[in-house]
Amino acid sequence: MTAAIAVGVLTAGGFFLLLRPGLVRVTFGFVLLGHAANVLLLAAGGPERREPPLIGDGDPAGMADPLPQAFVLTAIVITFGITVYLLGLARAEHLAGSGSRSGTGPEGPAESAEPPR
Amino acid sequence: MSGEGGALAAALLSMGVLALLSPVLDRRLGRDTGYVLAVGFLVVAAVLAPAASTALDGGAVTFSHAWTDSPEISFTLRMDGLATLFCLLVLGVGALIMAYCPRYLTAGGRHGRTYLLLTLFGGAMLGLVLAGDLLLLFVFWEMTTVASFFLIGTGGARAARPAVRALLVTGMGGLALLVAMVLLGIAAGSTDLATVLRAREEVLDSPLSPAIATLLILAAFTKSAQVPFQFWLPGAMVAITPVSAYLHAATMVKAGIYLLLRFSALYSGQTGWVICLMGVGLFTAVLGAVQALREHDLKAMLAHSTVSQLGLLVAAIGVGTTVALAAAILHTFAHALFKATLFMIIGVIDRQAGSRDIRELSGLMRIMPVTATLAGLAGLSMAGVLPMIGFVSKESLFQGFAGADVFPGAGVVAAALAVTASVLTFAYGMRIFYGAFAGPMLQRQLHEPSWAFIAPAAVAAVAGAVLGPAVSVLDPLMRQAVLNAEPWAVPPYFAFWHGLSPELFLSALTIASGLVLFSARDRVDRMLQRLPRPDGAAAFDRVHSAVLGAGAVVGRPDRSDSTAAYLARPAAALVVLGCVGVFAADGPGIRAGAPSDPVDWGVLALLAMAVAALVRTRSALAAVSLLGAVGLIVALWFLLAGAPDVALTLLLVEVLTAMTAAFVLSDLSTRFPRPRRGAAAAALAGAAGLVAALGTLALTGRRELSPAGAYFLEAAEPETGGRNVVNTILVDFRGLDTLGEASVLAAAALGLLLLLPGQPDGTVGGPRAPYGRVLGPAHRLLLPGIAGLSAYLFLRGHYEPGGGFSAALVAGTAVAFGYLAGRTGPRWLSPRPLLAAGLVLGAAVGLAAMVLGDPFLTPFTIPVPGGGLSSPLLFDAAVYLMVLGLVVTVVDRLGAGRAEHR
Repeated sequence: MTAAIAVGVLTAGGFFLLLRPGLVRVTFGFVLLGHAANVLLLAAGGPERREPPLIGDGDPAGMADPLPQAFVLTAIVITFGITVYLLGLARAEHLAGSGSRSGTGPEGPAESAEPPR
Repeated sequence: MSGEGGALAAALLSMGVLALLSPVLDRRLGRDTGYVLAVGFLVVAAVLAPAASTALDGGAVTFSHAWTDSPEISFTLRMDGLATLFCLLVLGVGALIMAYCPRYLTAGGRHGRTYLLLTLFGGAMLGLVLAGDLLLLFVFWEMTTVASFFLIGTGGARAARPAVRALLVTGMGGLALLVAMVLLGIAAGSTDLATVLRAREEVLDSPLSPAIATLLILAAFTKSAQVPFQFWLPGAMVAITPVSAYLHAATMVKAGIYLLLRFSALYSGQTGWVICLMGVGLFTAVLGAVQALREHDLKAMLAHSTVSQLGLLVAAIGVGTTVALAAAILHTFAHALFKATLFMIIGVIDRQAGSRDIRELSGLMRIMPVTATLAGLAGLSMAGVLPMIGFVSKESLFQGFAGADVFPGAGVVAAALAVTASVLTFAYGMRIFYGAFAGPMLQRQLHEPSWAFIAPAAVAAVAGAVLGPAVSVLDPLMRQAVLNAEPWAVPPYFAFWHGLSPELFLSALTIASGLVLFSARDRVDRMLQRLPRPDGAAAFDRVHSAVLGAGAVVGRPDRSDSTAAYLARPAAALVVLGCVGVFAADGPGIRAGAPSDPVDWGVLALLAMAVAALVRTRSALAAVSLLGAVGLIVALWFLLAGAPDVALTLLLVEVLTAMTAAFVLSDLSTRFPRPRRGAAAAALAGAAGLVAALGTLALTGRRELSPAGAYFLEAAEPETGGRNVVNTILVDFRGLDTLGEASVLAAAALGLLLLLPGQPDGTVGGPRAPYGRVLGPAHRLLLPGIAGLSAYLFLRGHYEPGGGFSAALVAGTAVAFGYLAGRTGPRWLSPRPLLAAGLVLGAAVGLAAMVLGDPFLTPFTIPVPGGGLSSPLLFDAAVYLMVLGLVVTVVDRLGAGRAEHR
């Protein structure tokens, strides 16, 4: 139940930020959506088993499913890669001189030569 | 599979090899490459000759190679009589055209591309008529379309629009053919062409039958330029003359005729088929002939003439009686001969006299008597005059049309229309000949072209003249082709002289009326010029631009400046999909979901507060801090859920994300702009959150430990020696996934390197850091500790929480800190060396396993002094390098821009 609510809260927050103007906040929304997906993945492993999957450190019957954890670990790092790339785009757009515009669009510097509308 | 079957594959393969050779030959031989290719075409024909003789004895030579199992499709080639006839056209006319090209093309120019495309087209056309599988037929059909597009493009810039029109029209027909082939495969239960053609009863009884017939007809009409698609063919005449002669007169436009003949075995005699083909065909025949008669450009006349003749062929196939089919097959052959000749002659005139307009040409007969004679022979064949092969085929066509019986009186109507088209044909044939060759001589400096230039045309023209009286030579081929088109037919024998038959009377009537029409040409001309011209190309362009306009309207929201405008739609779609998914999985009831821990509720409350604050704040600084807070709370959540590795990694990622955001935001406005339309966004976001929560409820808490998870828990230590199961999954069990993921990071880093400018001197970090005096010594003090922590995390990763990811992220914080402190790192600590080393090391570890005989990335032990070094540790080091490479890139590029902007 808590996992479901956590996913709901993170998704709602993520989508709200995605729909805001400005590429930086869109990126933040993307990070929140990444968290939501990771919480969901981990919950799929079965939240009743909560021992860390370290052999020899606890009761094997209570150990968490390691496979979703490996997925989530991978997903976190990939999300990081995409996040910094998106932030790089925001920076590139700013360097190209369109950062003062309220709706910083997805277009790269090439299209930003148009006058601001 | 017999040796003859192999010959079919060898023939196709040889065409491919010839095509690939042609640019090489062109570099050495220039335009004379055509002679080599002509010989090549004849050799391919010789390769096929044994198979052809089997086919003419009533057999069929087959080559089959399994392609896909499900659906069962095989690469089947099949040569029967009908295929033999078309192979003869493709290779025979092809060889003539190839021998014609060298003198037509400009000397000294580069023609490798033209030769390559022409030969590729020849191969595709050969494949089309030899295809023994429905889908293979479609593939070759599309190849001819594409080759045609590029070959029309040889006409230069003005060819762009006509080439696109031809591509779109014939491409549309190709799509229709694809659907027809799939439906036919379903109706007949097989995609093998021979099996399908034997399954007449099954196909005709199937409810799909009308749709299949319609689509086949659509495909054939687009390819063979029938009304209303006829306009692309005259447009395609901007291509160079060899292309027009080969593709747009002799072979490619006959692909539609081949298709209709082939599937006559299924549909011949069906009322809808008969009426559609006869109606459209005869209308096209008359319309094309009228158009030809009003043109002044010789090539345009021939183009409209081809449209008209194709109409006659379509109509004769529609009649479907054995006589009519036989006539269509013979006329296909005759038309290829006389039309190829005429095109080649007109190319000769164009090159010699510099014009194709009959208002500018005159009197060429006196200076080019041989050329004129050849044109005369081909023209007489086209007009259906004794003793040419065109006379025999035209008589057979009349006989066939007169036998039409789809409704009472159909024969009379059809024969009358065919005679009308033929009268017009006679008249424009005279117009072509008279326009170019008769009258006073205007260009005295001209002379007869070299024999090499006109020899190919001479071969075709003489063949057309000789094969008239000797038409019975063709009997075995024609009779077998008729049998293949209509297996139940009793094929007729062709005769040069039928005696005083009604057809002879019709021929005489045709010639007489044609002469009358020609002698009154001035008045006819004036009358025809007053008639409105149907401009199919303009109509097509209007429809085309309307479609593009509609696409622009549909796509307009995506070209908005605001990301919200287009992210809103996928967001809404996700909500809808989520609703559907939740209800499909579980019904509308609410499940309890997985059991929860009391502590969870506390963490959840913190999370909700942090998210709420994050979405509401307009301060950039607060947003970065709150985003970090959310990340820390989620990391805590993971720790409580028994995932210390994940928690550790997320913690480190959050630190670096916050750092990156701080770099970027320090130049962007520190206050976010005031939001608009907040309520709608909030409603959509709320709905998405609700659906996500319901979906999570529906999907979780349903099962015990997954079999895969149980396996890893059990096998991790005995198989890898590692006790940290998550780390063993990443580096031992599923290394390929991890390599892929680390490569994604490397790609993101490369993207940043390309996107953003670096420091002018190429170093990492900036010297003008504002807090350097405080942070510099701190960095110096902390650096050994951070480096040690990183090494410790890396080395213990196999046994305890840690590993390459987290270790690299720790090292990355040191780099970032160093940047803030204004300290420059060593040279090797720059993005490119790190990323390259990581990628190379990861791939090398994987390939080393292959060298040892195991699959890619299988773990192995490297013997070193004092024990063994396990390859997963090296692999983890590769991951470490790539992750560190990304962090260094971020610091370098995002930080660098910041320094510049101060």
